[in-house]
Amino acid sequence: MHIEVQHRPAYALAVVKLSAGETVVGEAGAMVSMDSHLRMETKAASKPDQGMMGALFSGLKRLVAGESFFQNRYTAEGRGGEVTFAPTLVGDIETYQLEGKALMLQSSSYLCSGPDVTVDTKWGGAKTFFGGEGLIMLKASGTGPIAFNSFGAIRRVAVDGEFTVDTGHLVAFEDTLKFTVGKFGESWKSFIFGGEGLVCKFRGTGTLFLQTRNPQAFGQLIGPLLPKRQS
Amino acid sequence: MMHEIKNKPDYASLHVTLQQGEAVVAESGALMGMSGGVKMETSMKGGLFAAAKRALGGESVFLNTYTASADGQRCDFAPPTPGDMLHIPMSGNTVMVQRGSYVASSGTVTADAKWGGAKSFFAGEGLFMLKCTGQGDLWIGSYGAIAEHRVEGTYIVDTTHVVGFDDSLTYTVRKVGGMKSFFLSAEGLVVEFSGHGRVWFQTRSAPSLAGFLNPFRILVQKN
Repeated sequence: MHIEVQHRPAYALAVVKLSAGETVVGEAGAMVSMDSHLRMETKAASKPDQGMMGALFSGLKRLVAGESFFQNRYTAEGRGGEVTFAPTLVGDIETYQLEGKALMLQSSSYLCSGPDVTVDTKWGGAKTFFGGEGLIMLKASGTGPIAFNSFGAIRRVAVDGEFTVDTGHLVAFEDTLKFTVGKFGESWKSFIFGGEGLVCKFRGTGTLFLQTRNPQAFGQLIGPLLPKRQS
Repeated sequence: MMHEIKNKPDYASLHVTLQQGEAVVAESGALMGMSGGVKMETSMKGGLFAAAKRALGGESVFLNTYTASADGQRCDFAPPTPGDMLHIPMSGNTVMVQRGSYVASSGTVTADAKWGGAKSFFAGEGLFMLKCTGQGDLWIGSYGAIAEHRVEGTYIVDTTHVVGFDDSLTYTVRKVGGMKSFFLSAEGLVVEFSGHGRVWFQTRSAPSLAGFLNPFRILVQKN
């Protein structure tokens, strides 16, 4: 399996080439095009050894995380083929090779991955939940490639020591980094009125990926300009 | 006539220079600017019936014709979405263009509406195509980049990503996977192409963006 990212950086498209019998897993709804002999299956993503209830539970957790309940699996039957994926918002796509080390992803940043990559929901903690920032992370582990997307450009930061990130700009980070979620500034006053949301404070050594635009901020800019919706 | 697509690929725009008597036809909302010696005519190209069909296709009823009354007159056009543009030389061939992707054409190229079938209409993903045929130039625009795929056999594209395709291809609108996939996979309808020819698709989807923004609309209680 080979993932090539085309049309970078503004309108990136992930082109996945599969050999005969190979499978790629994609975020539900992200498929743009594919060879028609590929078989698509919809499954609640789960670890291989999970039973029915385990699969259902991890699907539910993913639903809470803002990811679609189901991931789709695309398999090239008989002969090789291609499938392409794109995210909703304008921006770039980055690929990463998993080899034992886990990668944490902001839930809306996941695009597609190899069949031996397990994607599991990790609760960001009550503090992030009540902050309204919805910092719910996906934990990608196992072996193989994974592709994730950004709103705007992707900035790669090699952290050695401490680094603070606005949660809305966080895309992904290596699991070797420890993080705590907190408010920006010293007082609650600056948290409420300062216009800065919650931040992730990272510590340790590892790579993290930032996006140069904040999807929540974009939604909050446009949403109130649209006709109101009724409950 | 000289023409050039500038500001590629993010914010592409079309810049045409006309000699006296030369004309270019464009979607009625596409004009950015023009020189003083250009006369604009709103014509129901292909007659009233063709215009009405185009209206059904989500395109404006009217296509505008811009004709130069002197040499060296300039016309600038732009598509509605951020993204790229593509110039397709036409030599009597036929290209189907998704509504909203048609920007402009020249020469004898005509744009006629074609019904995409009830299935795509009821799914809210109306695949309305304009059938563009003739000799001259055709310019189309995309939301995001334009990817070209040469179909040899069969190929599937999500309906909301289709920009255009050669008429030499046959196509059907269907869902991917089984019924379970249709309801649970979040994938909508796709177009399956068969035969030999080019398909152009855009790397972003306008309905997806609307879907992202919808939860940010202010919620009011129903009384």
